[in-house]
Amino acid sequence: MNKQASIHLDSGLEIGYGSPLAKFGDAVKLTSGTHFLLARNGRGKTTLLRTLAGTLKPVAGSFRAEGYLQYLPEDLNFDSEITPAMIFKMLLPKDRVKEAVELATRIELDVKKPYGRLSTGNRRKTALIMAEFSVRPDTGNILLLDEPFSGLDAFARQAFEEIWKKSASNVLRLVSCHPDYDAMEMPNALMIEGNTARHLDEPGQTWSCLKALMN
Amino acid sequence: MRLFRLTLATIFQRKAWVICALAVIIMPFALPLVSSATEKPILVQPARILAAWGTLWTCTLMWGLYTAAKEGEKNAKSGIGEYFQTTGVSPTRQLFEIWLAVFCFVAPLAIITGLITQFGATPALADERAMWWTLNIQYVSLFLLVIGPLLALATALASRFGGIAGFTITLLITLYGLYGVGYVEHMLQVEENPLLRGLWVYSPHYSFADLTQRLLFKRGSLPTDGFWNMTLYFTGILAVYVGLSRLTFRAKVSA
Repeated sequence: MNKQASIHLDSGLEIGYGSPLAKFGDAVKLTSGTHFLLARNGRGKTTLLRTLAGTLKPVAGSFRAEGYLQYLPEDLNFDSEITPAMIFKMLLPKDRVKEAVELATRIELDVKKPYGRLSTGNRRKTALIMAEFSVRPDTGNILLLDEPFSGLDAFARQAFEEIWKKSASNVLRLVSCHPDYDAMEMPNALMIEGNTARHLDEPGQTWSCLKALMN
Repeated sequence: MRLFRLTLATIFQRKAWVICALAVIIMPFALPLVSSATEKPILVQPARILAAWGTLWTCTLMWGLYTAAKEGEKNAKSGIGEYFQTTGVSPTRQLFEIWLAVFCFVAPLAIITGLITQFGATPALADERAMWWTLNIQYVSLFLLVIGPLLALATALASRFGGIAGFTITLLITLYGLYGVGYVEHMLQVEENPLLRGLWVYSPHYSFADLTQRLLFKRGSLPTDGFWNMTLYFTGILAVYVGLSRLTFRAKVSA
């Protein structure tokens, strides 16, 4: 089975809700690894992720996504009565539940506390663990993460970034975010500036240089 | 079946099902003790039948439809439906998995009620006892055939129009089918009216599936032909509701 995930965005792909929000001038090919999706508020980050996830039609043009896809919306919420432990037990493959609970414990997520009583950051951790441990080892995976770091503490963020590094070979992650420190490395980024979207993959690229392009 | 498992665990965790389970088990024995059956022991069994099936209908219509509607609304609004859709779980599959989870709680309630009627209100006469099993199985089957599609409809309507709409509409449809159709029939007996006749013909005659009176007065099981005709009739309604539910259901709120 093909373990390589990929997304091909054709030249001329336009995204938006009815009217175009952003357009890809050049064709873009994304392969396994982490790709950051950067844009100012309201410029189409979530719209692009939803389009790639297949829950929103492109305004024009086409794209192709190959791999087991998961889109984690920013506002994903579970029932307030259910606990993270139950969520993992119900949604994850049996052999990964233990690992997931161990990570949860390490990043201080109380898996026995009802979801409704968790803080925003801990709710985010629950959703991220669920998505990360649902990754299929035998095939290429695409994870579209909408603002996964919002509300997350630095320690938890580091833990997830380590997982990303370890599974970079068979998981393509497209992560929308608003980085909070200039030195953050972003070797691969999709950027929406104005109405144009493009792919930037200069070696040694950091948030500092990309930020300058956005303004 | 990840969504099924998640929905099942969610309903289980909320624990409201415990109240229904206790009501269905306790009411058939408790209610006759506070009725006139205490003065006339002969009335204990009919009172138990009435309490058992009355409690089941009430629990299913109030809690079952509400739960189905709540799950449908939550799936669409919480982002869970959208997440599952992107992993390849189609809206049809999502509707089925949510429905199955709710049905897994409702079906045992019906079976418990059937068993209470079977063993807790068995007729004394041998020939009446002989048909008791058949009648109970017929009642449980028809009840589930009626309730199943209504649960799906509640889930679907709630996913599009909100939980209150999903619950209220299906509750009103059921009450109309159980009692309202009878009033329409009465009105037709007083005066024939083509419009009213049309309404009556196309109404869901859920009162056909309510065999409580048949149990109460020990009228015996339904004739085989009659039972299969009813099964066919409610299967037809099921097909219509399944179609309507699928058309109405959505996995995510529109942007």
